Amino acid sequence: MSQTSLKARMLEAFRKRMLMFIIGVSSVFAILALQLINLQIVQGNEYSLRATRNMENNIPIPAPRGEIYDRHFQKGVSGTVIVSNRPSFNLTTIPESFKSDDELLGVLTRLSAVIEINPVELLAEIKKSNAWERFLLKDDVPFDVVEKIASHRNVFQNIHWEDAPIRVYNYGELFAHSIGYTGSLNKEEYNSLKNQGYKYYQNIGKAGVEKQYDRHLRGEDGFIRRIVDVNNRTEDEEVGQTPFGGNNIVLTIDYDIQQTAFDALGDNYGTVVVIKPSTGEVIAMVSKPGYDPNAIISKDNSKTIRDLNADPKKPFLNRSIQSRYPPASTFKLVTAIAALETEKTHADKSHYCSGKYTLQGYVDHDFYCFKPHGTLDLYWAIGKSCSVYFYNLGMSVGPSNMMKYADYLGLSEITGIDIPGEISGFVPSQRWKLKTFGQPWFDGDTINMSIGQGFLAATPIGLANMLCGIVNNGIVYKPYLVKQIYSPDNRTVISETKREKLREVPLSPTTLEIVKQGMRDTVIGGSGQSMNRYKVAIGGKTGTAQTRSNRKDNISQHAWFVGFAPYGEQTDDSIVVTVFIEYGQWGAVAAVPVADKIFGKLIQQGYFKTQDKENISRK
Amino acid sequence: MFNRDFFNRMDIVLIGAVFLAITFGILMIYSAGFDPAIAANKGLYKKQIIWFIMGIIFMVVMSIINYRVLGDYALYIYGFLLFILLVTTIFGRPIRGSSSWLTFGFFSIQPSEFMKLGMVILLAKYLELRERDIKNFKELLVPSLIVLIPVLIILKQPDLGTAAIFIPVLFTMLFLGGSDVSHLVSIILIAGIAFLFPMLLTYWEWSGYKGGNFIVELFVHVDVLFTVAGILLLIAITTFITHYFVNKSFLRKIYIPTAVISLGLLLSVVIQNWFKVYQKKRILVFLNPDLDPHGSGYNIIQSKVAIGSGGFFGKGFLQGTQTQLGFLPEKTSDFIFAVVAEELGFAGALLLLFILGLIIYRGIRISLDTRDKFGAMLAIGIVSILFFHVFINIGMVIGIMPVTGLPLSFFSYGGSNLFMIMMGIGILNNIKMNKSSY
Repeated sequence: MSQTSLKARMLEAFRKRMLMFIIGVSSVFAILALQLINLQIVQGNEYSLRATRNMENNIPIPAPRGEIYDRHFQKGVSGTVIVSNRPSFNLTTIPESFKSDDELLGVLTRLSAVIEINPVELLAEIKKSNAWERFLLKDDVPFDVVEKIASHRNVFQNIHWEDAPIRVYNYGELFAHSIGYTGSLNKEEYNSLKNQGYKYYQNIGKAGVEKQYDRHLRGEDGFIRRIVDVNNRTEDEEVGQTPFGGNNIVLTIDYDIQQTAFDALGDNYGTVVVIKPSTGEVIAMVSKPGYDPNAIISKDNSKTIRDLNADPKKPFLNRSIQSRYPPASTFKLVTAIAALETEKTHADKSHYCSGKYTLQGYVDHDFYCFKPHGTLDLYWAIGKSCSVYFYNLGMSVGPSNMMKYADYLGLSEITGIDIPGEISGFVPSQRWKLKTFGQPWFDGDTINMSIGQGFLAATPIGLANMLCGIVNNGIVYKPYLVKQIYSPDNRTVISETKREKLREVPLSPTTLEIVKQGMRDTVIGGSGQSMNRYKVAIGGKTGTAQTRSNRKDNISQHAWFVGFAPYGEQTDDSIVVTVFIEYGQWGAVAAVPVADKIFGKLIQQGYFKTQDKENISRK
Repeated sequence: MFNRDFFNRMDIVLIGAVFLAITFGILMIYSAGFDPAIAANKGLYKKQIIWFIMGIIFMVVMSIINYRVLGDYALYIYGFLLFILLVTTIFGRPIRGSSSWLTFGFFSIQPSEFMKLGMVILLAKYLELRERDIKNFKELLVPSLIVLIPVLIILKQPDLGTAAIFIPVLFTMLFLGGSDVSHLVSIILIAGIAFLFPMLLTYWEWSGYKGGNFIVELFVHVDVLFTVAGILLLIAITTFITHYFVNKSFLRKIYIPTAVISLGLLLSVVIQNWFKVYQKKRILVFLNPDLDPHGSGYNIIQSKVAIGSGGFFGKGFLQGTQTQLGFLPEKTSDFIFAVVAEELGFAGALLLLFILGLIIYRGIRISLDTRDKFGAMLAIGIVSILFFHVFINIGMVIGIMPVTGLPLSFFSYGGSNLFMIMMGIGILNNIKMNKSSY
């Protein structure tokens, strides 16, 4: 093999391999170009969005939340402002803008002379944060402090302030359960609401009207569009959107009646519900014990909320709509209606009360009245609340009819009031009893039911609603708390709640008249006699619910009073008052005085036309 | 010396492309340093202009010195650079965790950059001297040593990226120098097998993967592995000895794969036991930055956002939000390509690739046109240094290659790499000018 041919062959081999190298290099360049096409053209828009997200860090401008007024609010003539906002400010700083820690400490020390802060502790906290990011020094700072800082910028250099209005519940506990309170969004709320424009830093209504009408009250936050660099330092900023305040709400609640009811309940646990049957407007709704919403919305509220939740007295519970009790003697009205409507009795039919009723069977069983009443007709049986009379009535009308009329009157349903959390009352049935206890319906159950004991349970609002049906000739309207919604400047009415018919109970006028007259007799000669002193004729029914426990002062009975005024001709002015007191002993003892004060205030406030009480005819 | 003929023989396209690339790079360094937030980047472009001017001098000098002289002194050049490298590694003050810099008062140089040229010159010389025997397996030993010695020193600094580029350059030169392809492939396969299992095991352990029991068992009962590897090795040795007596080519097909597998397995045990877990994890993160989204993974994400958001025509010079607002890390050096792609878009990035491709193409031409083995090898060595810088750097920035601290030659800020690559261009130019002399 010659020298040259070897050289030539080697050169040939080199060229071949160089070609492969060139192919390799070209492929790499092609791959680089393809990945560039992928990033810049195929996924270009997606990456542009990410670049924008990197550099935009908007600062929210909180929208003032809508105010809440009582029922007397009118354009121009302000009613009682129940919930408002007070201006407050956050003091912030960007730590990086200070040349040294000493300089920062100096400013903090001077700041501690005007607001309550611990400069040394705060400095330690600041050192742990991102130096380029806004640091919240103090929230809820009043305007005069901000004014001071603004006019002494050389003393308080690099201290900034931002608007942060704070919700004020002007009457604290008084409206706690009806209006509720606000708080920051929790994780679950945020996850379910983020699609509806809620932001993680916002507040939301947590209960009552604040929760139900949050969408109206919250308004729309504005924001400052801020371009930031990687250290979150502002490069540029402009107003992105100005905030739009929330709508204001006018309640159906009358501040004076609410206050009266609240005071009248005193230290008792219980509730008052005052409703206007002709519309469904709730004039007052009080539940005790309560809580002060102002204490909950302040900065470190988690402990307060935890304590309130753990409290065995359950202060968060709105007893008017979220708890149910045996309706007791107030249910006698249902028994009477069922008997009259099914024509099992008539108003003048008498029964003799010896103080007990004996149910005959394999073993006789006695059911007692609280005292022997002698011979009574239906009017006085209601007026005196004679149980023996109603045992007889219940036995003759039968359980199915009582259940049917209890259902008609809405005792097994929720009323649909416009605040969240309502529970329904409960009306048992034979089938339910068989399923639950494995036992048939006994006559003893019928006897118990006829006086509202046993398995029956009603919420105070449910019972109030039942009475509305009786007072309003069988037509029941859905109860509501919000009367009107106004624009933020109170110039335009955005919406006005119209009464909404909930049900129409087919009851004959005669039946209703008999029942109402019986209730009137309670006030004339029964347990509600104190209220007979008013010029307006009042009717009512007391109730004393037996319970199995005795928690308070050895009292094991709850007290009820359901009443209405005026008695007499059918009028749209009628008002129904329901009082419930936990462990209130006899209905008459505990609940009647509360109702008495409320009727007194209603009369004083001019809710009723003057009436010639003496000439109201008894049929 | 600089007569008309000198300029006529010069590779004007190559020099022109290089000047264009460096000017382009300086503009991008200006943009990357435009954001006042990072004071250190301010005025870097001015320094780069100075490095550029000094680089021109280096380039001219290398264009004038006959490249054959470099070959004659190859061993001395290599030895001198190795000495400097050793001194730097032992005495150099660590900057950002690695002792790669030699500081002379106001300026620092990175000897490992120049080592790349030294290695290429010596390899080229060796490949020329051993041209006839190069297919022999034992001829791979010396080139391997030439590369491994500086690589080990650089790994000690530690500078994984710079060390990593020596290996592909070596393989490219061996391949084009005429080595037996089956030898080269065998070495790559042995290394591949040796690393594959320990890396897989580390990755599974890290990510909580429950499969791969067979391999896990193999490393728990090392005796089984040793037995398998031993039997394979025995077969390899027997067939290897036999092939001296019975010259049958099919024996190659037995002893090469068996030797590759057994050596790979044995080496994998070594790697599994000698490397510490954190070291293996570091290699994994190097291979896949997504494993460490807050460290090197963050940089890649920001870089991809910068590039992707540039679109076709880019956001405009000095208008890149990722660049100017500081989201893009290392924007004057390792990630300068992302600045180009963000501000000048796909069009600008393609122009950059075109210029670099042109330079590589001219280098390959020079290598092909040179009649002399040393010149051809030297040219291809320099070309592959440039090519692998481009490949590894851009590949990293666009998220298809491991994260290494390699600069993009001609574009990234920094004197050492610029001087090195401009000297390389000078050498290429000199080879071109002398091609008719041999």
